[in-house]
Amino acid sequence: MVDYISRLMPALLAGLDTTLSVFFLTLVFSIPLGILVALGQLSNIKPLVAVMKFYIWVMRGTPLLLQIVFIFFGLPIIGITFDRYPTAILAFVLNYAAYFGEIFRGGIESIDKGQYDAAKVLGFTPVKTYQRIILPQMIKIVLPSVANEVITLVKDTALVYVVGLGELLRAGKIASNRDASLVPLILVGIIYLVLTAVLTTAFQKLEDRYSYYQ
Amino acid sequence: MKIGIDKSALTLYHIKVIKRLRNKRKGEEEMRNNITKLILIMLILAFGVVSLAGCSNQTANQAPSQTSNQEETSAGEDSFEKIKERGYVIMGLDDTFAPMGFRDENNEIVGFDVDLAKEVFNRNDLELVLQPIDWTMKEAELNAGNIDMIWNGYTITAERREKVAFSKPYLKNRQIIITLADSDINSKADLEGKKVAAQAGSTAVDAMYTEPDVVATFDGGEPVLFDTNNEAFMDLEAGRSDAVVADEVLARYYIKLKGEEKYKVLSEDFGDEEYGIGFRKQDKKLLELVDSTLDAMRKDGTFDAIYNKWFAD
Amino acid sequence: MVLEVQGLSKNFAGKPVLKDVSFNLNQGEILAILGRSGAGKTTILRCINNLTKCDRGTIKVDDMYLCREENGVTVYAKPAEMLEIRKKLGMVFQNFNLFPHMSVMQNIIEAPINVFGVPKQKAQEKAAELLEMLGLSDKANAYPFELSGGQKQRVAIARACALNPLVMCMDEPTSALDPELREGIATIIENLARDGMGVLIITHDMNFARRVATRIIFLDDGQIIQESSKEEFFANMGDERIRRFVAM
Repeated sequence: MVDYISRLMPALLAGLDTTLSVFFLTLVFSIPLGILVALGQLSNIKPLVAVMKFYIWVMRGTPLLLQIVFIFFGLPIIGITFDRYPTAILAFVLNYAAYFGEIFRGGIESIDKGQYDAAKVLGFTPVKTYQRIILPQMIKIVLPSVANEVITLVKDTALVYVVGLGELLRAGKIASNRDASLVPLILVGIIYLVLTAVLTTAFQKLEDRYSYYQ
Repeated sequence: MKIGIDKSALTLYHIKVIKRLRNKRKGEEEMRNNITKLILIMLILAFGVVSLAGCSNQTANQAPSQTSNQEETSAGEDSFEKIKERGYVIMGLDDTFAPMGFRDENNEIVGFDVDLAKEVFNRNDLELVLQPIDWTMKEAELNAGNIDMIWNGYTITAERREKVAFSKPYLKNRQIIITLADSDINSKADLEGKKVAAQAGSTAVDAMYTEPDVVATFDGGEPVLFDTNNEAFMDLEAGRSDAVVADEVLARYYIKLKGEEKYKVLSEDFGDEEYGIGFRKQDKKLLELVDSTLDAMRKDGTFDAIYNKWFAD
Repeated sequence: MVLEVQGLSKNFAGKPVLKDVSFNLNQGEILAILGRSGAGKTTILRCINNLTKCDRGTIKVDDMYLCREENGVTVYAKPAEMLEIRKKLGMVFQNFNLFPHMSVMQNIIEAPINVFGVPKQKAQEKAAELLEMLGLSDKANAYPFELSGGQKQRVAIARACALNPLVMCMDEPTSALDPELREGIATIIENLARDGMGVLIITHDMNFARRVATRIIFLDDGQIIQESSKEEFFANMGDERIRRFVAM
């Protein structure tokens, strides 16, 4: 058994490689985009707010799987074509930015309006107010929700199978089919659990760091 | 497998980060209000997204830029000339599909269909590129031009003929009924009141429904569907399903792997089928090339050699 | 004069909240604007600090115009000028609005360093001075959530004083405090005035006004009913509305 597991690991780790790269790239792009989406919704520009609301409705209102399929197979019909990997990243980033946007917006809105007044009389510009006063406070507020989304993202990465990309779960399925055994899938489950444990611990540490004030 | 991160996308992100850091130091005279910054950053992001559209990226095998494929193999035109010019042909397969096309322990794609295809294109001086796809999207991938052939235990059916062009059949197949060795099921009639498992979307399901009165006798009035044949067999072993209906080719692979003494194959079946290779309807030249090469391989014994490698008992 | 307000008018949703309000504030004065809730007192403060734009009026801080009525149009100062004016204005809010994620020291030096470019060393020294003056030196590294109401108010005052303003505005300074702390804040306000600031207090706490103000304005329904020195005000309450207010 141990021998079998060690023979399985290279393929599983190769799949994990894809899982992790989709995971990190999605976070790197969707979190900043999410902040912009949140700010856009809070701005005074009515058309911008309407666009944001529509975008969030579409992204949260359709399955991520469908979005990936749409970008990869649907967009080429109107001439916009993406390769498999960029499709996956694009779909994930757009989807998760919508969720993060709502989380961040909720966090920002829960901040006392007096903070903006105080910043204004001290001479802060809107940009500086967000940079120094609002966003730092928002972080503490949204950490638990963000942790939730991030942990969900780890498992959502399995959806890239639909454009033929091989990630961890698919690697497990391949081995399981090939060897008619459940062991690969059990291993895959363990790897996901380990990833989740690492993330949970990391976010707990982050929350601890932000517990210096209330 | 390499992480296929496009370098230009990363650079754009670095630019964004550096821009933000610089703004902190410069002070607010530079940025009038957050809306301007918002619009600017969105433009940068949009540019990043558009540049992602143009780039190519690594999948499991080296498939050069997809965008050029799609332009070349546009609807209506036979793509053979373009394929020859390009030097390679792309074969779409579901890499979970043992033994027709799947990954071995070294993560290499192998299988009966893979070996056949490699031989065919070797003889025709074309490189074979294997592109894993999701099986439910196979016709979409073919017609979008992402792949040039579907070659993966692809059963010929009338419905599929409406969407793709098939080569001559290259392998016979049956939809057989498998039970555990000690089962008291010996015929289709014995399936009455029993749970029958099969792979969702497979021709096994279609074959069963050519005898709807039999299906109606199943426990629940319909077969129990699973994502893969593997899962259907696992359900059989768990005792929850009483029988599995599957491609003979796939089933025999599974039975051999797990131990033939555990299973029983009924003499009755749900019909014969044939495997074929799927092409875009307009790609007549490519289809002919594959057909004639396979014929040659049958004549000179190569086909049988490959068959024996995978299916010899 | 450190503050001149002329013809200040403001409507909210069609309803007039301030009707042609005019008054001045001098160095060393403590001016209390007294009135019921809803009289428009807070709106005056918000207009002076440019938290709300007035519909009409002229507001002059020291020698600079925050807004000026010219040919029937009210023109506001440009951003660069506004920044200069902000240095001269200090504001203490009713619920203090301290930045909860920053320590007391950080709260005080944040604007000087990040908005006005004061060198960190200087800002910290000034902050330490202010904290000493207000009896909070040992709280420099504490966070707002650890402080009592009275302590938070003093931090808010220190933060507002960090750039040596000429005008100090305070919105209901006694509303969040226990009665025994009122004397403490009264002393602080008197010290600020003695140091040369003009202090503008909004309050409905009549007793506090009597204790601390040098001059009193009574505002009712957006209009100034009476403006006089403290002594005169309480000796001679001509208007029915004032008498009713004082009796409450």
